[in-house]
Amino acid sequence: MSLLTLEHVDKTYGQGDLQVHALNGVDLTISKGEFTTVFGPSGSGKTTLLNLIGALDRPTSGSVVFLDKPIGSMNRHEQAAHRRFHVGFIFQSYNLIPVLTAYENVEFALKITGIRDSKKIHSQVTDMLDHVGLSELMHRRPNQLSGGQKQRVAVARALVKHPKLVLADEPTANLDSKTSKEVIEVMLRMNRELHTTFIFSTHDPMVMEYARRMVEIRDGNISQDTER
Amino acid sequence: MFLLRLAARNVFRRRGRTLIISSILVLAVAMFILFESLMVGMMDVSFRNVIDFEIPHIEIARKDYFTESEKSHTLPIGKRFIPEDRLISDVQKLKGYQAMTGILEFSADFISGRYEFPVRVRAVDPDTFNDVFMNSQYIVAGTFLDGNGPGVVIGSRLAEFFDLDVGEYFVMRFTDIGGSFNTIEGEVTGIVTTPHPDINLTTVFVNREHAAPRIGVEDLAVTQLMVRLEDRELASSQSNALMDTLGGNPLQARSYREGADFLVSLEQWGYLETYFLLALFLLVGAIGIISAVVLSAIEREKEIGMMKAMGMGESSILRLFMLEAGGIGVVGGALGCLIGAVIIFFFNTYGFDMDIFMDFSEIGVPVSGRIYGPWNFDAFLLIFVIVVIVSIIASILPALWAARKNPIDAIEKR
Repeated sequence: MSLLTLEHVDKTYGQGDLQVHALNGVDLTISKGEFTTVFGPSGSGKTTLLNLIGALDRPTSGSVVFLDKPIGSMNRHEQAAHRRFHVGFIFQSYNLIPVLTAYENVEFALKITGIRDSKKIHSQVTDMLDHVGLSELMHRRPNQLSGGQKQRVAVARALVKHPKLVLADEPTANLDSKTSKEVIEVMLRMNRELHTTFIFSTHDPMVMEYARRMVEIRDGNISQDTER
Repeated sequence: MFLLRLAARNVFRRRGRTLIISSILVLAVAMFILFESLMVGMMDVSFRNVIDFEIPHIEIARKDYFTESEKSHTLPIGKRFIPEDRLISDVQKLKGYQAMTGILEFSADFISGRYEFPVRVRAVDPDTFNDVFMNSQYIVAGTFLDGNGPGVVIGSRLAEFFDLDVGEYFVMRFTDIGGSFNTIEGEVTGIVTTPHPDINLTTVFVNREHAAPRIGVEDLAVTQLMVRLEDRELASSQSNALMDTLGGNPLQARSYREGADFLVSLEQWGYLETYFLLALFLLVGAIGIISAVVLSAIEREKEIGMMKAMGMGESSILRLFMLEAGGIGVVGGALGCLIGAVIIFFFNTYGFDMDIFMDFSEIGVPVSGRIYGPWNFDAFLLIFVIVVIVSIIASILPALWAARKNPIDAIEKR
């Protein structure tokens, strides 16, 4: 079943002679439960594509439809509400809040959805930290965690609200190969256990090997779309 | 609650910056508490000195006496009156009534040796005068007016000016009721040093029974009837009550505040000045808060981007930064109140010698010596609330700027 559909999506930055065409007429359909990687050289349009899918940006033309809702034409408040409930983000540099513990960073994602039931929050947060193997370290702050542990906190934070889609922009770029493998395996396990759709961008061939679908982008166009 | 916890931790994230910004607020709060207490203490002493030595709670005189004495440098002895029994009875019925005394006040030149000095002469009935005023308690040499002899009591600064001591001779020249020059001569029988500088320099006390025939007025004539009440808070209401009973009478009753209108204006100016200083400090504090929020937003740009990407609303980010600014205000306000409390403790216990600054009598403030700053917990509460509110208000624009950041730009820190 289709979760997300992009039709003839163009994205242009700048004006006049300084115009940059980041995406040119991209068509893409993502189904529920996919574990998809978007890859390609730097500047090919991977991040722009993820930004449009995650309702962080609007296309210059074309449509982005998420579960029959046109998210490309939403205003910024509607986009924020959409991201709050339906999309989880994992960033390359983790972007954890340094003054909060691992537990509180994950709790934060639930709090902003407006859940007030503290028992429910506690159970969901501890459950998710347990899933990513961090239940022992939940009271540590980010500066007391390794890079891999931080990224696992970020994974837990993205997943704790049970979003329909998780977007990860180069989630292993700052990690060594062993830790990258651990993190991507956690993401894959979450995909299998929770049936959450994952789309992640990467340059790392080892990480790509885990994807069930590989979408290659070159010069703002999808040049290759392979399912395995 | 979560936002509050996050804001509280962010306040202490950059301890140095929080401390610097807070210290400006601490200074504003502590200075306000000090100035406010100084003002209240100084005005309290000033009004007490006016009541105890110059104009008690209520002063009754002819309306034209008040008008002329304000216009002219010479006190209008002609505008005298003889208090009727009904007036005395009405005064005695006032709420909180304690005592009353009649005085004859006139202008004269005090002469001793080659020098003369313009003075205000208060011809008084010592028995009743001492029930209303405190001058006799501040006698430093001799005695305060016995019987009805020709002696006078003068202030210590006047005595210093003429190099006079008890038992030495003086002459006072004045214009009597008929317009002729007349004199009172005799010995200085006492010298007073009161906390009211004007009394010490420009006032001479003489027996009314001795002075009245020399001025040429009736034995029972007075220029003012001075009334002491139990509590100064009653002064205005009882003065108004007396005015109602006086009706069409040519007499007028006024409270010490009306009599010391210069002090009332000074009090208002004093408060205005205190609040102006406070506003200046708060302005600097507000600029500090604005820069703190801007710096914080720049430093935490990626964090803001992440929060927005996760779907945190602009209003929540706005609230977060405002809470942080409010937190700095709370820290500054609380520390300022604490330091203010320490200052007031010493000020309240040991007092503050006003004479080391200046002679306040030169600007017409009847205060000298040590003053004590009272505790005013309303001032603590007021300034604390003001500082927190100003901090929050100052943060609105930079917080709005932070909240409206484009999440993509913020994450990529563009």
